[in-house]
Amino acid sequence: MTFIVAPVAVLIGAGIVLALIDGTRRAAGVVAIAALTVATVMLCVLLGRVAADGPQAVVAGGWPADVGITLRVDALGAVFAATSLAIVLACAVQTVLRGVSSRITLALTVFMGAGLTGLFLTGDIFSFYVFFELAMICAYGLTAAEGTEGRFRAAFTFAVVNLVGSFLFLIAIGALYRATGTLEMLAVAERAAELNPNTALLLAVTFLVAFGVKLGLFPFHAWLPAVYLAVPAWIAAMFAGALANIGAYGLVRFGGAILPRELGVAAVAVIALGGVSIAYGAVQAMSRRATREVLAYSSIGHAGYVLVALGLGGPVGLAAAVIFSIANSLNKALLFLSAELRGPLTAGVFLVGTLSVAGVPPSAGFFGKAALFEAGVDAGSIATVVLLFVGGALSFVYLLQIYQHDRWRPREERDVPTPKEIAPRAQRTVAAVVAAVVLALGLWPQPLLAIGDQAAAELTVEAPR
Amino acid sequence: MRAGPMVRLVARSLLAPSFAVAAAILVKGYADAGDGFSAGAVAALGVMLQMLAFGRERVARDLPLHLAPRVAMCGLAIALGVLIIPVLAGGAPLEHWPPPGEKPIYIGTLELITAVVFDIGVFLLVLGACVAIIDALARARAAEEEVA
Amino acid sequence: MNLLFSVVIGALFASGVYLLLRGDLFRVVAGIVLVSNAASLTLMASGLTRGQAPILPLDEGRGLADPLVQAMTLTALVIGFAVTAVLLALSLGVYRSGRSLDLGDMTRREAEEAAEREAGELAQDVEAPEEATL
Repeated sequence: MTFIVAPVAVLIGAGIVLALIDGTRRAAGVVAIAALTVATVMLCVLLGRVAADGPQAVVAGGWPADVGITLRVDALGAVFAATSLAIVLACAVQTVLRGVSSRITLALTVFMGAGLTGLFLTGDIFSFYVFFELAMICAYGLTAAEGTEGRFRAAFTFAVVNLVGSFLFLIAIGALYRATGTLEMLAVAERAAELNPNTALLLAVTFLVAFGVKLGLFPFHAWLPAVYLAVPAWIAAMFAGALANIGAYGLVRFGGAILPRELGVAAVAVIALGGVSIAYGAVQAMSRRATREVLAYSSIGHAGYVLVALGLGGPVGLAAAVIFSIANSLNKALLFLSAELRGPLTAGVFLVGTLSVAGVPPSAGFFGKAALFEAGVDAGSIATVVLLFVGGALSFVYLLQIYQHDRWRPREERDVPTPKEIAPRAQRTVAAVVAAVVLALGLWPQPLLAIGDQAAAELTVEAPR
Repeated sequence: MRAGPMVRLVARSLLAPSFAVAAAILVKGYADAGDGFSAGAVAALGVMLQMLAFGRERVARDLPLHLAPRVAMCGLAIALGVLIIPVLAGGAPLEHWPPPGEKPIYIGTLELITAVVFDIGVFLLVLGACVAIIDALARARAAEEEVA
Repeated sequence: MNLLFSVVIGALFASGVYLLLRGDLFRVVAGIVLVSNAASLTLMASGLTRGQAPILPLDEGRGLADPLVQAMTLTALVIGFAVTAVLLALSLGVYRSGRSLDLGDMTRREAEEAAEREAGELAQDVEAPEEATL
């Protein structure tokens, strides 16, 4: 029980300290890394407990469950929280080792970690929104942190587009509260099943738009390439690997658990939207030459897979959405962290990421893709299987294009200049550790698969179809 | 930017009352409408009115504006403490002492419960954060005018 | 009462979106503020019940006003205030570096940079050492 509250409290406590001291100092780096490490370890313990004993809950203030704010963690929330925070930790370690360039970045990173952790661990829709805004506001700040013109511009676009999404989400929360009379996720899911179908469908569409914006789905993706291009690699890795998880988690939580009937009604539309996202992301990525741009568009494409898995629905589809999201966030973090490093090991590390995205075993990405295929076959949808196959092949092509362009082609023939200096060993080690995790999950995928199945089972039990 | 004499007079005479009203709202919050948040907002409005009327430079001489971020973070730390201490003692987060139904300690009509401590934290956070935000924007503007 | 709320919310939201689509940073910020207030008002409207204030001791037999929506709206207002501050700081930053509040100028500079990137003139990912002032 303590482990539900403690990670957020540790992170906020560290954030308070970091906000008051100069973040470029060595001590600040130590505080940030220590707090993130402690919180990540706690979340891993929590994940272990949830996997063993099922969902855990605590009601704030010791109130009865329908009065107080419920903090509730199930397999879905625990696995997303642990993965996201581990990625934030890896990115923070990399930047601390390189030298922090702005005094506020570490404080913002830690507060963003607190927001992320909180939103995955809450069982209350409104506190979900509050934590989600905490994470997003920190993300806007991180985008602008070093105060160059391009950063400010990107942050402004990022903030405006995402705020419209946030306020739509807020309106949908108001409507959902009006319709069901409660904010507790389990109770909402129960009562949502008896809603007027039109009301429920309208709500579902609003939630889809709100989370689509966060995830960077086509056609809500316009902000994404601008932001991923403007920020340094470690922040882009954090956004792609941890922040985008908000969108995936929200879609699974609100689509899969709270409004499953509406998800079923709109399945074809959802799959089509996902397919368009996959195709659009892949085609745009292939036409770009700068590494960062390719990766940004590939994120848009991979957001589509989550939507396709959701559209396929059922326990298998939900499990696939969870497994794919986790594998994908590790892949994306790895690619962004390693793409611009040079020196021994880095090419291999980047290649691991590439092969994992393409779904070549043994890598975490293989099991993500495999789960998607399974869901497609299970639903008997040939079109989906073809779509997944073509999407995978295209991502293989554009990522190997980067590899070939950045690493093989003679320097003077490259269309886009690439970094020359060899990265410090510590930075390379961080990327290598993430790559090792991706490989390890490929060699021993049982925990990931089991937690995905458990999450899907819990969600479908909560809201029987 | 210069404000007229009337505005300055009103601003000056409103500073102390705004803090008094804030304190009243904060204390009254447990028997009547009011809480740390609105108290913080009222107090911050008082400070902001000074900045509007006299400009940032002048107010910075009279009031410790540079302390605002520290005040905000202290408030957050106090609130966090109220949240986490009951957990360490084995209860639920934010559990208050004395629990509902039991008689709290009275000082006059002021009830002493941990919820008051939480609200003082919120008060400091709101006051500090509002002042810090306005101060940061005002400083950025001042820097802007120097450049121009 | 419901009708009044929906008309006001609709008008606020529509004006907000109208401002969002203008080509001027400050209008965009104002648009976001209006949209945020439309959302807060929706929260208020989602729990409109007449009754006594839910503060102990309660009168028997009279209904309660829903306190939850008020708490939610208050929180939403605070978040709205915070994002307004962030947006103002961001637009100030954009204005300082480009000396213009026009969105057209902003996109033009963005397009120029993209063209330069395509031409391979812009070095990738140079982490700027400049200090943030806000």
